Amino acid sequence: MIMSLLASALPMSGLLAALPVAAVNWHSVLFLLFAAVACACAVAVVLADNVVRMAFYLVLSLAATAGLFFLAGAEFVGAMQLMIYVGGTLVLLVFGVMLTAQAPFVAIKTSTGDRVLAGMVGAALLAVLLQAAFRVEPWRRPAMAAVAAPAATPIGMALLGVRVDEPVAGAPPAAVRSGYLLPFEIVSVHLLVVLVGAAYLARAKRRRTPRAIDVAASSVGPVVTAREAARSSASALVSGGQ
Amino acid sequence: MDLASQLPMLLGLAWLAPLVSFVAILFFGPRMGHHGKNAAWVATAAIVTSLGLSLAAFGTWLTAHPVTAVSHDSHGAAVDGHAADSHDAQEHESHEHEANAGHGDHADHGGQHAAVVPAAYSGDWYTLYQGGSLRLSIGWYIDALTVMMFVVVTFIATCIHVYASGYMHDELHDVTDHEVHLSDGGHLHRPGRFPRFFQALSLFCFSMLGILIAGNLAMVFIFWELVGICSWFLIGFYFERKSASTAANKAFIVNRVGDFGMLIGLMALWGALGTLHFADTPAAGPAGQTAPGLFSLVRPAESGHALQVPDGMVKFANASEVSRIAVENASRPGDGANEIASRIRDWRSQGYGRWLLFIAGVGIFCGCVGKSAQFPLFVWLPDAMEGPTPVSALVHSATMVAAGVYLVGRFYPVLTPDVLLVIAVIGGITLFIAATIALVANDIKRVLAYSTVSQLGYMMLALGVGGWSAGLFHLVTHAFFKSLLFLCSGSVIHACHTNDMRKMGGLARVMPWTAGTMLVGCLAIIGAGIPFVIGLSGYYSKDAILAQALSYSQANPSWSILFYAVAGGAFLTAFYMFRLWFMTFAGTPRDHHIADHAHESPNVMVVPLVALSVLAIVAGWTLPGGFGLANLLEQARPAGTAATMSDSFLFGNLTVPAEHLSHEGAIHVTATLTAFTTAAAGVLLAAMMYLWRIISPEMVASVFRPIYSFLANRWYFDELYNAIFVRPVFAVASLASGTDRGVIDRLIDGIAWSARQLAGFDAWIDRNLVDGLVNATATATWNAGLELKKLQTGRLRQYVMFIVIGTVALFVLASMLFRAALAG
Amino acid sequence: MNLLSAGLPSTAIPLFAGLLDAPVGVAHYLVVGAILFTSGVVCMALKRNALGVLMGIELVLNGANVNFVAFSSPYLRGEGAASLGLDGQLIALFVILLAAAEAAVALAITLNFYNNHATVDIDQADDLKG
Repeated sequence: MIMSLLASALPMSGLLAALPVAAVNWHSVLFLLFAAVACACAVAVVLADNVVRMAFYLVLSLAATAGLFFLAGAEFVGAMQLMIYVGGTLVLLVFGVMLTAQAPFVAIKTSTGDRVLAGMVGAALLAVLLQAAFRVEPWRRPAMAAVAAPAATPIGMALLGVRVDEPVAGAPPAAVRSGYLLPFEIVSVHLLVVLVGAAYLARAKRRRTPRAIDVAASSVGPVVTAREAARSSASALVSGGQ
Repeated sequence: MDLASQLPMLLGLAWLAPLVSFVAILFFGPRMGHHGKNAAWVATAAIVTSLGLSLAAFGTWLTAHPVTAVSHDSHGAAVDGHAADSHDAQEHESHEHEANAGHGDHADHGGQHAAVVPAAYSGDWYTLYQGGSLRLSIGWYIDALTVMMFVVVTFIATCIHVYASGYMHDELHDVTDHEVHLSDGGHLHRPGRFPRFFQALSLFCFSMLGILIAGNLAMVFIFWELVGICSWFLIGFYFERKSASTAANKAFIVNRVGDFGMLIGLMALWGALGTLHFADTPAAGPAGQTAPGLFSLVRPAESGHALQVPDGMVKFANASEVSRIAVENASRPGDGANEIASRIRDWRSQGYGRWLLFIAGVGIFCGCVGKSAQFPLFVWLPDAMEGPTPVSALVHSATMVAAGVYLVGRFYPVLTPDVLLVIAVIGGITLFIAATIALVANDIKRVLAYSTVSQLGYMMLALGVGGWSAGLFHLVTHAFFKSLLFLCSGSVIHACHTNDMRKMGGLARVMPWTAGTMLVGCLAIIGAGIPFVIGLSGYYSKDAILAQALSYSQANPSWSILFYAVAGGAFLTAFYMFRLWFMTFAGTPRDHHIADHAHESPNVMVVPLVALSVLAIVAGWTLPGGFGLANLLEQARPAGTAATMSDSFLFGNLTVPAEHLSHEGAIHVTATLTAFTTAAAGVLLAAMMYLWRIISPEMVASVFRPIYSFLANRWYFDELYNAIFVRPVFAVASLASGTDRGVIDRLIDGIAWSARQLAGFDAWIDRNLVDGLVNATATATWNAGLELKKLQTGRLRQYVMFIVIGTVALFVLASMLFRAALAG
Repeated sequence: MNLLSAGLPSTAIPLFAGLLDAPVGVAHYLVVGAILFTSGVVCMALKRNALGVLMGIELVLNGANVNFVAFSSPYLRGEGAASLGLDGQLIALFVILLAAAEAAVALAITLNFYNNHATVDIDQADDLKG
């Protein structure tokens, strides 16, 4: 449906006349688009030095991922991705970036050797994952004829413990499909705990000695002395309580 | 209670009383009064008890066996009561036939007196071991000799205990011994040992009485050795003095040499005869019959108690023939025994077993040679004077040395004429050597010691020439006057603080009692008396010996040297005894310092002197009723020894004349006159040299310088023994010790050294290799850990890297495995 | 390496050319997921900024989410292929939730670290060095 909409929205017939437009699989095209954005931005996160830029590329990557979710028929998940992940988590991350993006920390470069090593390791991991991806024969053959039902209601019902979705083909007929009520509850408690924990960790602490960051900010010394001052105040903090 | 159980009880208690005193003083000595002063009274009380019991036994004996006169001037027999065969008592049960006491049963002369068996009681108190015919037991053999010896020994011991309680008063407080030189030059200070002296004296009395009462040779041997030990202790009483301890060792070792011969004799008897008992033991044989003792084996009643080689020795000597017969008649042992029994007489006449009997006799005599200080084992007795004077008086003059003579007298029935000749010759040699040495000795106790040796030689010679009663008579009288002489010399030494006669002189004025009693002793020892009338005790005994020696030399003319030895000995004895007396008591004092300080001894020392001198005078007398030592001894004469013995074995034809023959007129007269003249001559010469100073002793000594020095050096016997025995033994000992040190110790040390080297090597291996390996492992592990620690850098990125690498690697590995599994 | 070549048969699905008209399968999504995952891992291993590491973590989780969604998608199933169905979407949902929670806590930690050490350079956080 979307594809037909998009197809109809293409004005560049000239360009398209060269292409067999009618034979274009718009699903695949959009997939390529979103995939490219996601991958490129992910790689850009890695390659960027500036943490602010890293944050931006990350946002783009995750947004493209949400698009991928939509294309795969998991629109609820995609929506959640955009709302929670991009809109919440990454915003939080951006806040963190903003809080800590002092001059010397904005762009910390790693050594070349580390980068080469990381690149090699990454390449090896990628190779492993890729070959695993292409090994399974059924994964390469899609079932385009399927029509997906909207997933929101089944998901919600599943979270309440009732499975209303159709069993998948190939599953044993008498298999019991469990609901997700318990994980739901657990996750809610978990989120509560995290909330409390994060609030506690990030609370304003009454200090006997000035914070290292304040010391560093007040003095004009280089980073090294600030670091040592930080160490000393940290150890005093740890040993003396606050 | 009848005599057979009364006598053992009395004499047994008398024997054990000193043992009680010994044990009491052993445990409580130092607590008996101040410094143990009362130990003397305990010991004296014990020995007085013994004396009392011995006298009671003596009295009991006399009531049963009164002493009657033995008629000398007829050929008649010794007319003692016919005593029955002794019946032995096992466990105090006994029965004996009462003898007809003192009836004038004149037996026929000639062979009849050979049939007289002395009254004797024997039995066993305790059987230690019985196996077949073999029996070891503690028992008694009591005859007149035993009873008499008990009285003599306990009486002399009592006198000496009293004397010693005064003499040894130095030991009641701490003693400074001036004859012991310590390494720092000072003299030894030591606490007194008063109780120990009486402890040892008590033990000695117990042992000596044990020898007297013993009923078998094994018991004799036990107490023989015990007496030796007591003597060792008493001689070495002042053991811190090197001379005293050496003398004690010398005495004991020399005695042991003699005991070696005694053991051979014991073995010969036991091996061949199977018994060591003197008398028969009823119901003790293998089948319950009477087990014969030595006396009846050697002098069986069937042959009139004549000496013959016993059956056991004949069979032992002819053992091959006996076993051949036994084997022939193996199936009929009764026939075999009969044949052997019938052939024994023939074998005996062929001479089988005579050597064994000779060996047995000489062997037992060897023990007596050691104990009674005969040649060649007399060298210990003069050195034994290192002990205190009471010890010399009791042990080494009257009792212990008499034990040898006593044993010869007890064992007399078993001795053949050849053995008796050996005894006589040894006695003669001894008497001569010792008398000559005493001529030139200057130490008063040494003179008396050599005199003792010489007199013991007299006794042995007397026994050897057949004078059984003469020898034992002399033993008793000698005990009295010799102990008297020693006690007097002790008194003199106590007064003068020196033993050297050259420093004495003129002491008769200040010590009249000592001088007088010593004179009595000297007269007794020389046999002084009015011939044919009366005399001191020594007169009678010496007379008897001379008579018997004369009789023997007449019967065996080739051995008449024995008579001349006795006569010469009498002369020498008189000379040196009166030399001693004159030098000590007569004339002017040679050392005024000593003479001024000399004083008479206290009463506690003088009273025993007087008592003994009385006995020295009267001991030889025979009362009108016949009571006297000589007749008492005749009661104990062993069966068959009253007859003349003849034999011809090793030393040609020997005749041992019967003792009563020497009491006949001609021999008796000759002997008496000889004795008188030789004694008088000796006294005269001594007076000329030492009293009237007509002949100067120094001149005589210088004229006969070589002889004088030879005698003064005691015939160089000590040097001779030193060269022959002591030096080689030391050489062997040093060789052995050198081997032990140089070879054996080196070997052991070498083994130890190599073991240590090996151990060191092993230790090196253990320390460096084994420990090194372990330590290296630990160090390697530690270092590995240190190296691995570097992995934990704390750097997050690195950890992530490792996670990834690990994941990839795992995945690759797993895929490879799965691929292999799937492909295969 | 034979892993990759052995995994691709001769009638391989064109990766890029021909994709415009050929439908995409699970494998393509997995590739995307792999790339996201790998870049997230490399970012974690590489970045010295603590926030960079957090970003890496987000990327990793997203890569996993892509995989889950791909497995659960009805469009991408082949005949007879097993699928996660709704479970995959639910799992992805939970992952998102937990990622959020984890991000919050991690950020709190990072801020504490920043306050105490005046730096976000995690190479300076080697106090736990062995």
